[in-house]
Amino acid sequence: MRNSRVRLGAAAVAVAALSLTAACSSGGGDDTGGKGGASSKPTKAPVPNYGLGTAADSTGPAKAVPGAVKGGTVHDLDQAGFDYLDPAQQYVSDQLSVSLLYARTLTAYKIDPTTKKTVLVGDLATDTGKMSDGGKTWTYTLKSGLKFEDGTPITSKDIKYSIERLFADFETQGPQYIQSWLYGPDYRKLYKGPYSGQEIPANILDTPDDKTVVFHFKDAHADAPYAMAMPVTAPVPKAKDDKAAYNNHPVSSGPYKIASYKPGKSLVFVRNTNWDPATDPIRNAYPDSWNFSLGIAQPGLTQRIMAGSGDDKYAIDLSGVADPTQMAALTSDAQYKSRTVNEYQPYVETLDINTKRITDPKVRQAIAYAFPMSQVQQVFGGAAQGDLGTTLLSPTIAGWKDFDPFGKKAKPAGDPEKAKALLKEAGNEHPTLVFPYANTPRWQKISLTIANNLEKAGFKVVRKAIDPTSYYTVVGKVNNQYDIYRTGWGADWPNASTVVPPTMDGRNLQDGTNNYSFLNDDHINTEIDRIKAITDLTKQADEWRTLSEYSLQHDTAQVPFLFDKYFNIYGTGLGGVTYNSVTGTINASTVFVKQ
Amino acid sequence: MLRFLTRRVLGAIVILLAITAVTYFLFFVLPSDPARLACGKNCSNPDVVKAIHHRMGLDLPVYQQYWDYIRGIFVGRHMPDGQNCPAPCFGFSFVNDQPIWPTLTDRYPTTLSLAVGGSAAFLVIGVGLGMLSAWQQGKTFDRVASSISLVGNSVQIYFIGPLAIALFADNLGWLDHGHDPTWGSDPTGSFSGLVLPCLVMSVIFWSNYSRQTRSLMVEQLAEDHIRTARAKGMSSRYVFFRYALRGAAASIITIFGIDLGSVFGGAIITEATFGLHGLGTLAVNAVLGLDLPMEMAVMIFSASAIVIFNILVDTAYAIIDPRIRLS
Repeated sequence: MRNSRVRLGAAAVAVAALSLTAACSSGGGDDTGGKGGASSKPTKAPVPNYGLGTAADSTGPAKAVPGAVKGGTVHDLDQAGFDYLDPAQQYVSDQLSVSLLYARTLTAYKIDPTTKKTVLVGDLATDTGKMSDGGKTWTYTLKSGLKFEDGTPITSKDIKYSIERLFADFETQGPQYIQSWLYGPDYRKLYKGPYSGQEIPANILDTPDDKTVVFHFKDAHADAPYAMAMPVTAPVPKAKDDKAAYNNHPVSSGPYKIASYKPGKSLVFVRNTNWDPATDPIRNAYPDSWNFSLGIAQPGLTQRIMAGSGDDKYAIDLSGVADPTQMAALTSDAQYKSRTVNEYQPYVETLDINTKRITDPKVRQAIAYAFPMSQVQQVFGGAAQGDLGTTLLSPTIAGWKDFDPFGKKAKPAGDPEKAKALLKEAGNEHPTLVFPYANTPRWQKISLTIANNLEKAGFKVVRKAIDPTSYYTVVGKVNNQYDIYRTGWGADWPNASTVVPPTMDGRNLQDGTNNYSFLNDDHINTEIDRIKAITDLTKQADEWRTLSEYSLQHDTAQVPFLFDKYFNIYGTGLGGVTYNSVTGTINASTVFVKQ
Repeated sequence: MLRFLTRRVLGAIVILLAITAVTYFLFFVLPSDPARLACGKNCSNPDVVKAIHHRMGLDLPVYQQYWDYIRGIFVGRHMPDGQNCPAPCFGFSFVNDQPIWPTLTDRYPTTLSLAVGGSAAFLVIGVGLGMLSAWQQGKTFDRVASSISLVGNSVQIYFIGPLAIALFADNLGWLDHGHDPTWGSDPTGSFSGLVLPCLVMSVIFWSNYSRQTRSLMVEQLAEDHIRTARAKGMSSRYVFFRYALRGAAASIITIFGIDLGSVFGGAIITEATFGLHGLGTLAVNAVLGLDLPMEMAVMIFSASAIVIFNILVDTAYAIIDPRIRLS
């Protein structure tokens, strides 16, 4: 999943920083010492249990939230809007947060409202799936009593049709895991979608009866149950599918249906009477309706929730973070602090080093030593909006462990002396670094801070302002003439299988790659293939972590510096506000309106 | 008059076509690729980027894209992804694949209401203050009004907007928070939701109009024909309004005509400050998101409005000041 466009910068610093995972948490306030200032406190992330739940865990209704009552309307204030409501096109965090209200998927994350323990359970399916053929075949059985909003039963044929839609030309925004697992990387050439009348054959995707769906993947994918939790597996009724225009009126399979939608302006959900809570283990659906106001600018948005006048008393922002200018009041004033949420998001901010140009690992390590993490953290909004990060994996990934090979937490402001020594060893005491940055106020400031600190270590830094809208296009070119640049990345589910391969596999490097440092290390490439084939997810997680640590320490193609955090306030009239550590957003399922 | 109007309308069409062509072709001079901005994590798959290029029509030559776009406005289009787009077709958004025309028709009432309401506010307040200052020339009121105008000239919407919301809406509760108008279903609520945004937007304009009006009126009051009118025994009030104001009005209207573009600019900032959904916010988001169809549509819409209003302003000269002949 990607972060929302707003979070990535109104200036469309449209990051390819993608998404997601799980998190630790400290709901109800900032427990990381965050007063908007810097913090070098080591990150300790008690990752919730992201294990696979049982069939019993997958039965409804959802566990009650203490003190919750039914009724009322929640008012969501959103800085942008939801570019896509068609579940097949949904990938970014704000879309995932709203999708939960109307789109059910084969599997989903069950978050205990009290303990916050998060496990994957069957949502439409009776469990998280049955693996066979060494991880290549996955079988899902649908629950009884599932219906679309018009009362039509949801069958395995609907799931198959929804998967077939993913191959259509207009479906370009959603994740591609399932498509490429079924057909290989050239899936778009091999199957064009259902609109030409052609179905996916049964030996690839089978529906032997109305309740069973069988996926036959080309390779083993032990983490398939997690891929099934993405909105792409939400059922789409063929009778209501009008291709790209379906985006404006998706048919609900969840507790709410769309009553009205004006893109970029407003979105109203009311109860879907054909949703049966007895089938749903994760959604409490306490409010009668959800009213989204879209396109609300900052700092007004945060100020409205703080003031809480009129309907703003019931206001929340499911996916956006608080305006940085309000952080001092929000983190210190008791009237606000008691209704804030501060949790890890799945994104890791990194400074990528172009390994095609900076070929000596010693020089790359010198950059890592000299990097001023704490100063950069200040500009990001302080500790409440980002913890100092020293690993390439987020603390929200299963199996994460702290790792700090360059002693950054001891010297978060940078260690120019150590960097100088490394440059001397490398035989180049004053290397030149060309440093492009997205030309936004934030990055003008941060790039200057970074440049000044690198120069203290002996580097000569040449800063280049890049139009924010073309930033990733420019730095993503394999033959780019730049040395260091910022990027960001997050996992799509709490397993590093969606972090290490896309950002570190050096085979088939081409423009637009997500391996922005163009690292091509044979050891890493070989290990990726080996680890992918491991079917024990716990073992796999450990192996990914070890490989990412090897990459950081030996290749140093990326310098991690910040773990993004969600920080925001909600209205005094709301209760049951919990955090979905997987999407990096508020968990809409448990929210209720106080009566 | 007919000849004048025909000439101006033809000129306006040429201007609009030139603006659309320049905007369209300039977009392609930039190194940015909207497909690369839209593909996110899927950018690593060349097939996806290719599919997005095709959906956006970017796989065609630029002149062909421009022609399709302009033609679609008059006769509609069948889009590359299979969607039908009836005339007037301004295409589909590159960012969210939404049809542009319904979005425009949904948003323009907010901007138009702001522009009309804000203009009415700054003309009434600015011209009124300027007239009173000229009437009270050199006295305390004149000095105070000049000082206020100077302050008004120095502030910005994004500075006074939040202050005004905090004071008049949150604390005193006198005025509504700004919200989008729905004139058809709730005219009273629409009006009250626009009072504060219009007043805030007017501040940056009325201070200037107040100074201009004062200076024009003082100039007019020193004219020979005013002295003659007074010598004939006409009352000061009659001379002030019937002769001096009429003399100054043509210049004020000229300034207003020139300011129309700025009014749109003011509306953009006001919309952002008050969280309103108008053409301004659409324009800003379109530029930031490399949303060419939306950029073009908003530009055509606003440029047309400015051109039409300018023609109306020119026409109004003749009515205000008979010395001006349209020919």
